[in-house]
Amino acid sequence: MKVPSQFCGSTMEENSSSASQNHNGQLSSGANVPLTNNKHQGNDNGTNGDAKNERPQYSMPGILHFIQHEWTRFELERSQWELDKAEFQARIAFLQGERKGQERLKNDLVRRIKMLEYALKQERARYHKLKYGTDLVIQGDTKPPIYEEGICNCPNSDVGGGGDGEAPFTSVSNISWRQGRQILRQYLQEIGYTDTIIDVRSSRVRSLLGLSNNTDSEDMNTPALNGNEPSNKQASENSVRRIPGKKQPSSIAEAIILDTEAAVMANFEFLAHTDMDMEEEEGDVEDDTYDTNMDPKPNKPSMLLTEDVDAEAEEVLNELNLLTEIEESPPGSIRYSSEWSAIRRGGHPDPKRLNEEGDSALELGELEQLCVNNEAETSYDMVATTKESLRKTWNAKYTLRSHFDAVRALVFHPTDPVLITASDDHTLKLWNLHKTLPAKKSASLDVEPLYTFRSHTGPVLCLAMCSTGSQCYSGGLDGMIHCWTLPSANIDPYDSYEPSVLSQTLKGHTNAVWGLSMYQLRSQLLSFSADGTVKLWSPQSKSPLLHTYISEQDGIPTSVDFIRDESNKLVVAYDRACVVFDTETGESVARLEANETKGVNRVVAHPTLPLVVAAHEDRHIRFYDHRSATLAHAMVAHLDAVTSLAVDPHGLYLLSGSHDCSIRLWNMDNKTCVQEITAHRKKFDESILDVAFHPSRPFIASAGADALAKVYV
Amino acid sequence: MKMADGCVFFRRNRPGITAKNFCRWPDEPFEEMDSTLAVQQYIQQMIRRDPSNVDLILKMPEAQDEAVWKYEHLRQFCMELNGLTVRLQAECHPEACTQMTATEQWIFLCAAHKTPKECPAIDYTRHTLDGAACLLNSNKYFPSRVSIKESSVAKLGSVSRRVYRIFSHAYYHHRTIFDEFENETFLCRRFTAFVTKYNLMSKESLIVPIMEEEGTTESEA
Ligand SMILES: [Zn+2]
Ligand SMILES: [Zn+2]
Repeated sequence: MKVPSQFCGSTMEENSSSASQNHNGQLSSGANVPLTNNKHQGNDNGTNGDAKNERPQYSMPGILHFIQHEWTRFELERSQWELDKAEFQARIAFLQGERKGQERLKNDLVRRIKMLEYALKQERARYHKLKYGTDLVIQGDTKPPIYEEGICNCPNSDVGGGGDGEAPFTSVSNISWRQGRQILRQYLQEIGYTDTIIDVRSSRVRSLLGLSNNTDSEDMNTPALNGNEPSNKQASENSVRRIPGKKQPSSIAEAIILDTEAAVMANFEFLAHTDMDMEEEEGDVEDDTYDTNMDPKPNKPSMLLTEDVDAEAEEVLNELNLLTEIEESPPGSIRYSSEWSAIRRGGHPDPKRLNEEGDSALELGELEQLCVNNEAETSYDMVATTKESLRKTWNAKYTLRSHFDAVRALVFHPTDPVLITASDDHTLKLWNLHKTLPAKKSASLDVEPLYTFRSHTGPVLCLAMCSTGSQCYSGGLDGMIHCWTLPSANIDPYDSYEPSVLSQTLKGHTNAVWGLSMYQLRSQLLSFSADGTVKLWSPQSKSPLLHTYISEQDGIPTSVDFIRDESNKLVVAYDRACVVFDTETGESVARLEANETKGVNRVVAHPTLPLVVAAHEDRHIRFYDHRSATLAHAMVAHLDAVTSLAVDPHGLYLLSGSHDCSIRLWNMDNKTCVQEITAHRKKFDESILDVAFHPSRPFIASAGADALAKVYV
Repeated sequence: MKMADGCVFFRRNRPGITAKNFCRWPDEPFEEMDSTLAVQQYIQQMIRRDPSNVDLILKMPEAQDEAVWKYEHLRQFCMELNGLTVRLQAECHPEACTQMTATEQWIFLCAAHKTPKECPAIDYTRHTLDGAACLLNSNKYFPSRVSIKESSVAKLGSVSRRVYRIFSHAYYHHRTIFDEFENETFLCRRFTAFVTKYNLMSKESLIVPIMEEEGTTESEA
């Protein structure tokens, strides 16, 4: 990171002070109530856990986490900016290409007009000669028009005078668009082939843009002859405005080329991290319209979208797609196509930007905003606002339809765009998000399942995945925990049956197994069942059952998770309270409860903080500090019972699902709702049954009682 | 949410409930179901009440769209056939049942592949169910669960024909499994009544003598 050291200093200061303010605020408002855990003396922070003891909360891990947190945030923002920047630069290049294509076409037409004009003059002269017997004296040239390709840089000089010159050109704008794309395609090809020889590429770009001898920026901005003009101009303006921040290039053209190069490079970097690819990006736009049609309560972003934009975007994408197909062999070109998808991706998270191709007025606004954002880089105070404006918006993209009944659980592969769903229809299904069905326009991408796991003799209720993604575990109403070896993500869905896919069955529970949790580092699995027990397993070993935990006073557990910041603890939810157990001794070390607590449906531990989050039947989400056994925060989170929770791998966001048919994304820091998506329909009184974050890719997912699972990007 | 005797309850399965209590809630009258999945809810409710009362399960509520009714029943059949498949996986090995047969009259080719293939019986079973799951959930043919495209209604017949072969293979080659399963679920009986009632399959192709056997299956098992 290139953040100057003074920034870091101020960052720390700002935030630590604001953190303590928060803390005080909570104390005074009485939200931080010590709970009724006084009986458990083993707990350091036990009985005297009043305000005084609480104040100096800066533990080393806390500070480290905070720095980590800030750093990831900055990184995120930075990549966002880079994305946006690259996107606009690509767009500039694209428009340049378009314009060039139009110019060519125009020149061609001008030539034809001149030919016709000439022919007409000839005809008139002949007619005159026949009629009057004398040669017609015409002012001006009688020579056939000479057309030189490539010289004509200034479109106005040719047709300028002729008032009717414009009409034919606008009428053929379709063809010119196509030609523009052709040129763009060529141009992109060049970039792909010569990504090491920047000079060559620059000159190629230059020649393709037809700017080799051009230094006048006014000339660049000469209005094109179709409706595309405003955005074209803006794009150029934008580039002008950016230049001061960089070294001063001698001309606009050079600036654009430099910027394009930078963008391409930036995208290579970006790709190294996220490994996007074409298939993932295709459907972004279509989805939204799909949701608008389908959902009774559509989310705002989708409202902004129009069919036209949709068609447009799809066309462009098809174009790019076609390109990849053609250029399969040279590795360079494949990479560049992913770049393009990455660029597109940058545009989509912000719903307003979806309008870019449809509404030039809005685009200007966006560009201005972008400039503001760039300036903000120099001032720390602006960071907060940029964060707001660049925040990612999730959109439904993949619909996983193949289950016959409610999908109870889903789990992502640790690294691949692969997930597994478990359903009331007795099966599990394996999905590869790269294997989508060809979708018609304005429908979300449907994914076809790769493999169906059958062995449970009743509904499958819960899932877990091992750290490598080679094994997954499922618990069912039949009391079984099955361990499955994942087939390859490229398996033929109609391959022959391989019994060894079911590698092991963990027997021990005598009733429905409702929840599983994996501790990746030790490869240990927790399960809980309607038989009232929580069991700890080491699935690979000879005697897999390690421990059984029971809390007589609490009855049947309703959820379980490992405490992530203290690996020797686990938390079990019961109807009245969450109990923290020591994994070794099996003794309960803390009780997390609030007076009004009722029906915990899901409990998850924060990946780094001593925080436990519980989803309640009474519409609340409650945050507990498991060390002090205090309630840190409580909020009404949904309109109906909260059923499921997931924390993102960095611990910054919380995802919740509810029987109110929506999923909500929360900022872990300030507990505000960042986004709400209406995702599933109701079956009886159930709607959303599980949510998940992908451990390493930008995917979230929800599972519904309507037999569907959805993945959002 | 429903009020009954003054207390509020929900028709939902909270985590931790026992297998016995799964989906065990008071019936909801069909007229009161406002969900888009009402037909599925209703069918499952009827099956839970008494799986052996085939006629009642197949009795369509008034003013119900028949295509949706057939479609949802077929979904339910395919779903419950997973249970039979799990049992067959333990016994129907590709070495023994190299082809999908019932009586020796026909060898069925698996239509899940680009060119129909002579899959072993267990593969045929799995492929057929997987294919049916894809087809019946296909956004192209069945984009909605509240109205069925006219052109897709014909698909219901072909799916029925194919999945019926799973019953017939089990009946003629894995009779113990078939009887166990049938005694619990009455699925083949319900299926036979269903395809007969809605004319989805010809009488001759219903080769499992389930209807004539009425009342005798239990003693045989
Ligand atoms: Zn067999
Ligand atoms: Zn097959």
